[in-house]
Amino acid sequence: MCEDMRASLNAYLDGELHGRRMVDVENHLAACAACRNELQELQTVSDLLRAAPAAAFLPAERFVAQLILRLNAQDTALQLPRRPLRDRPPKPAAWAGWLVPAGLLGAWFFIRTIFMLTTALFAADATGLLGQASAWLTGSQPQALWYMAVNSLFGGQVSAAQQSTLSLFNQVNVLGENLFNGFLWQAVVVLLYWGWLAAWWLRRAPRSMKVTAATAQS
Amino acid sequence: MLATLATETEAGLIIKSQQGDRNAFGELVRHYYPRVTHVIYRMCGDTALAEDAAQEAFLRAWLHISSFRRGEPLRNWLYRIAVNAALDVLRRRAEEPAADETLQMIPEPGLGPEAALIEKERVTLLQQAMRSLPEAARSALILREYGELSYQEIAGVLEIPIGTVMSRLSYARDRLREVLKEQMLLVESEYV
Repeated sequence: MCEDMRASLNAYLDGELHGRRMVDVENHLAACAACRNELQELQTVSDLLRAAPAAAFLPAERFVAQLILRLNAQDTALQLPRRPLRDRPPKPAAWAGWLVPAGLLGAWFFIRTIFMLTTALFAADATGLLGQASAWLTGSQPQALWYMAVNSLFGGQVSAAQQSTLSLFNQVNVLGENLFNGFLWQAVVVLLYWGWLAAWWLRRAPRSMKVTAATAQS
Repeated sequence: MLATLATETEAGLIIKSQQGDRNAFGELVRHYYPRVTHVIYRMCGDTALAEDAAQEAFLRAWLHISSFRRGEPLRNWLYRIAVNAALDVLRRRAEEPAADETLQMIPEPGLGPEAALIEKERVTLLQQAMRSLPEAARSALILREYGELSYQEIAGVLEIPIGTVMSRLSYARDRLREVLKEQMLLVESEYV
């Protein structure tokens, strides 16, 4: 009985017992001198701790002044804000960096649109929908240019099998005008975009690791 | 008992601090400095160490104020940082001898020379007894006795279950009771 009650004496002393449990402890204390004595000793320990004189510390004003000086030094080292964020003009570099992916996306849409329009025009021309109006298109031979590009890639030694393959591609290219150039330009844009994404991630990763480490330390 | 900062005022100061306003943070520090330093001092048992740990604690609070969840009591959040800072400072100085922990003590008015001496001795013994407690039990006891936190709040600050708070408090007081009983008897026998 006493062991069970002793486990609750601290909580009773601290006013953390309520309801039935508190009544049980009070009833037991009324009947048990040993537990009353133990409670008294616990009370004495608590009183002694609370009565221990406080030390003389720096006045609050001086402490705050010293702390602010340290904050200034710390913030200079860590490049933390020195004044309210809302008062600071936005840094040009903060938004200028986003112009790169925005520009690349714009370029990609432009290229896609141009090549889709070109494809539609040449498809219309091939089916005779444009009639004589397409005479200005005949001056350019994108298929021939594409064929020459592949031919020079193989050092001008295109075999018969390769020629027939290229011919087949050219046929296909009637419906997908400037397929090679379209792919090339889009690949360039995608590579630039990935490059920017990698650079952005590398710049961001060390900062988040630093914050995590500092949080864990505290 | 220290005056309570109006809830609206405190909330406003916290928001401003989170936006980088040092003056607002200074106001919060000014308000909580006595309580936080008191808890740290009881953890360290030394004035100079306590001041170092208090600086460290408020510096950490400034660095992490953006992660403070509004609505949570700021006092408890500061206590959590303060206890950690005090323990860190103590660990760093573990190899160094304890400083003159009672020399900076404010003397109780109206005490005669002999009574003042006994009082000084008693405080020294108390500090020694506190230092003899394991960190976990000491933190819980100090937050209860000097931080005036409830069991629930201590559990939140130390991030432990409430049952653990109860067992740590029980262990700390029992241990302190035994140590003090022996040491007080010795002191009394010296002066009687």
